[in-house]
Amino acid sequence: MSAIHLQNLVKKFGDFTALKTMDLAIADGEFMALLGPSGCGKSTTMNMIAGMEEPTGGRILFGERDMAGVPMGRRGVGFVFQNYAIFTHMTVRQNLAYGPRMRGAAKAEIDRRVGAIAEMLQLTPLLDRKADRLSVNILQRVAIGRSAIMEPAIFLLDEPLSNVDAAFRAVMRTELKQLQRQFRQTMVYVTHDQLEAMTMADRIAVMDHGVLQQVGTPLEVYNDPANVFVARFIGAPGMNLLKGRPAESDRGLIVDLGPLGITPLLPGELAAALRGARGDVLYGFRPEQALLVPDGQGLAMRVSFVERIGARTIVHLGQGEAAVKTVFDNDVGLAIGDVAVVAPAASSVRIFDAATGLAMKAG
Amino acid sequence: MADIVFRNVTKRYGGTLAVDDASFTVNDNEFFCFFGPPLSGKSTILRLVLGLETPDSGDILIGGKLVNTLSPAGRNVAMVFQNLALFPHMSALDNVRFPLVERGVAEAEIGTRVADVAAKLHIGHILHKPPAQLSGGERQRVAIARALVRDPNAYLMDDPISALDARLREETRVELKRIQRELGKTLIYVTHDQEEAMSVADRIAILEHGRIRQIGAPAEIYDRPASTYVARLLGSPMMNILKSARGEGGVEAAEGTIRIADKTAPADAVEIGLRPEDIKVRPWVDGGRADGASSRPARVFEVEPLGGYTVVTLEAGQARLKALLRGQPDIRPDAMVAISCEPARVHYFGQSGGALAR
Amino acid sequence: MSAVTGTISEDAPTLEDDGKTVQARPAPRDEAARLGFRLTLPAQVLVLFISAFPLLMQLYISVTDLSPLSGLGWWNAWSLWNSFANYTDLAADARFWSALKRTAIVMIVCVPAEFLLGLALATLFADDFPGKRIFYSILLMPMMVVPAVAGYMFFMLFQSGGPVNDILSSLTGSPVTIAWLSDPTLALIAVMVADIWQWTPLMFLILLAGLVGVPEDQIKAATLLGANPWQRFVTIVLPKMKTIIIIALAIRVIENFKIFDTLYIMTGGGPGVATETISVYIYKLTTQDLIWGYVAAIALAILIVLSIVAVFAMKRMARARQVPA
Repeated sequence: MSAIHLQNLVKKFGDFTALKTMDLAIADGEFMALLGPSGCGKSTTMNMIAGMEEPTGGRILFGERDMAGVPMGRRGVGFVFQNYAIFTHMTVRQNLAYGPRMRGAAKAEIDRRVGAIAEMLQLTPLLDRKADRLSVNILQRVAIGRSAIMEPAIFLLDEPLSNVDAAFRAVMRTELKQLQRQFRQTMVYVTHDQLEAMTMADRIAVMDHGVLQQVGTPLEVYNDPANVFVARFIGAPGMNLLKGRPAESDRGLIVDLGPLGITPLLPGELAAALRGARGDVLYGFRPEQALLVPDGQGLAMRVSFVERIGARTIVHLGQGEAAVKTVFDNDVGLAIGDVAVVAPAASSVRIFDAATGLAMKAG
Repeated sequence: MADIVFRNVTKRYGGTLAVDDASFTVNDNEFFCFFGPPLSGKSTILRLVLGLETPDSGDILIGGKLVNTLSPAGRNVAMVFQNLALFPHMSALDNVRFPLVERGVAEAEIGTRVADVAAKLHIGHILHKPPAQLSGGERQRVAIARALVRDPNAYLMDDPISALDARLREETRVELKRIQRELGKTLIYVTHDQEEAMSVADRIAILEHGRIRQIGAPAEIYDRPASTYVARLLGSPMMNILKSARGEGGVEAAEGTIRIADKTAPADAVEIGLRPEDIKVRPWVDGGRADGASSRPARVFEVEPLGGYTVVTLEAGQARLKALLRGQPDIRPDAMVAISCEPARVHYFGQSGGALAR
Repeated sequence: MSAVTGTISEDAPTLEDDGKTVQARPAPRDEAARLGFRLTLPAQVLVLFISAFPLLMQLYISVTDLSPLSGLGWWNAWSLWNSFANYTDLAADARFWSALKRTAIVMIVCVPAEFLLGLALATLFADDFPGKRIFYSILLMPMMVVPAVAGYMFFMLFQSGGPVNDILSSLTGSPVTIAWLSDPTLALIAVMVADIWQWTPLMFLILLAGLVGVPEDQIKAATLLGANPWQRFVTIVLPKMKTIIIIALAIRVIENFKIFDTLYIMTGGGPGVATETISVYIYKLTTQDLIWGYVAAIALAILIVLSIVAVFAMKRMARARQVPA
């Protein structure tokens, strides 16, 4: 019942297309993140699921049921707003009781349900507090509790952590994830922060400019990005992409990166995928998957900047126009001005068509 | 010379101590960062340097000169505000020119100085645009250019890139560092983002309740935090801090779940600190004996893949701790694992939370 | 949920937790405040004098028999001291009490009517509809009309041969010749209609400002929780507008109490004293009966009544402000 199907979903605002034919199936009980930069269409998608906006075309199904024409109050979705939209003129108790009260539940019934949900969310001692001066994690719990009391099959969350201090976000992330485990609802989570999506979601739908770019588990989108946008957007730092041209060497296929030299030998299946290709490609690898190799076996580049951030050291390398970031452990021992020779682990190399931006894969 | 010295500076607002007996020296050409939670006194220190506040006691020296009562204009210290405060009705060029025009600098000189600063910040091509048409990073650079054009002794920045999104912040902080290097000017920087502080700063001062708790290079503070407070502030995930006790053959924490075979551990340690990346996690095989006696069992509670790293939350005894593993190890929730930590990587803390020397 | 133990207060210590207080020297903020007070003292004295002087003058005159016929300047009125006769007369003045009652009736009818109409219009205008801007301008026009002109307009409308009767005639099909302004009850109704016509726009304007200030997210949240439009209005919109409603009502209660110009041009307080409000009564006492001492006593009595209303309203506002929307 609480699976969500978006079929050919389109949304236009006048001449502007906010969402271009989106197809997405979200399974019952799944935690799906809609991830992308601002203006990518993720919030529009969410608002249409909630019924706050009418699709211009396509269908939204909850289970088998078409949601066209079903008003937002009748869709049975819980919605957590970016600013939580807590009723500040009420107490925590009144906030939690709001839904059942509006549906005319009996007083005893309301008390029982509020008591249960408050207990679950550890809000019991705060029930009679006015809701206007609570800390942000309490507000988040009230917002979730207020929706959860209606026992919605679907929970929608609109960037709930974007107003939270960086230092506190980790705590809130853990809390949210545990709540989802408790309620086991289908959750759709909108965010522009790839870290949030990676750490919380079962699957991520990456969006850009109103177009769904890729859907997959966090590791799928990290390891096998469908295109250049996903490759750059996922990961911190994003994937390194170097422009070059496939070429045969005496031992097999390599990518000729011009002044940077040639890459190590491409692994078999990638080489097979590239054989027929014409034109420029982008040679991609993750900063964390770069290794320091002996001279002549990788790309020699000068260290332009070194950031040591806690457990890891980000080494920025540059040679002419080309720039690469690599992430090492702190004992890497590179300083600005050094020349480093790096090569990606063979299995981590990804190739993209420079013209279309799409990943090139075997078969 | 534009070193900035605070000697026992105290500043109160009514009954609250905003800055409490602060002493530090910011060296000439240094990128110096103040870091701490909200209301820890970061912004008050900036205001004291700028001259917007006068200290209740103590001395402030800029370039060797006592400036306690000197007006902001007399200090020649520039400020880049959090909201950048660009004038929206002026072009970027007019924004940058503004401080010079205001001071009645000759037109020819304005031209050369603006061109100079624009070249340094790579904004020559966007100077004709109004701020509204610039990207976040460009606006940032225009605001810096406006601060620098009058050739200040030092400049201050109050959380200047917090409004940018994560990806842009990563790039802008590197850019800021490069600019500061090239300009060779003293920069005092305030941020609430620990990654940013560690990335850009030559040295960091950690603040708590208006008191300076530790000053040092980022790596120094990260590797040798002076207290549990400092230890928790830098690093993500944050350092695991566990109650500890002396046991047979070393130190035990988390109800004996973690055992540190360290004979030289300080006797008065009541807590140990383990950085998530220092915790070794291996599969639990046959009572863990294969890994040596120091490995103990823990249950995997949660696995968060970051791609290049994986954060694993472990339940060990009554304690929860986080381990940061490289790559994408095949670990699932509820699995039993063996955890251990090299004695040399353990931090010891005493009764009051202060770090103990070994 | 056992990990949900870290609260924000642990992670974000505040200066207040510090517990350190200052004893020795006063904080510079206080010094600055004291200097500020000294610098503005002359201006404050002047303001005090300007607002207090007329009051004290009234108080002084109100215990005398001052009249232009006495030929004395007001400062010499002490020779006409009549102890508190003006106040005892006032207590027994049936015409005064009936004027007060009439003023109250007008207020009790007009202010709620303006409020409800204004609220209804504001609710309507909070959403978009075609031609909104034009309707908006038209709606605000009565407020711009000079009250005397409005009085003249309604004087003409309610003539027995005027447009109101014309419309009624064409509606009923037989000629209607109601003498609106000559009938005691109908004249009062006509006067109230004019007041409502002129001042509903102000109420509308203030309430609209309050209405658009209600956070949209909270209304959406209520909708998603199943509240119907009426429930949303009662549980979210009205409570959020409490402060602005009190302000709007206070403004109109105080203004309406002073109703004069429109009314005086329409009826002159008549027929007889049928539409005589406090202001009209005072006007007549001052310009026709020429008993200034008595007028001063009435003026003070009314001021006290209105002050009580204002203080009550301000207290409510202060309390409401402690709960920001």
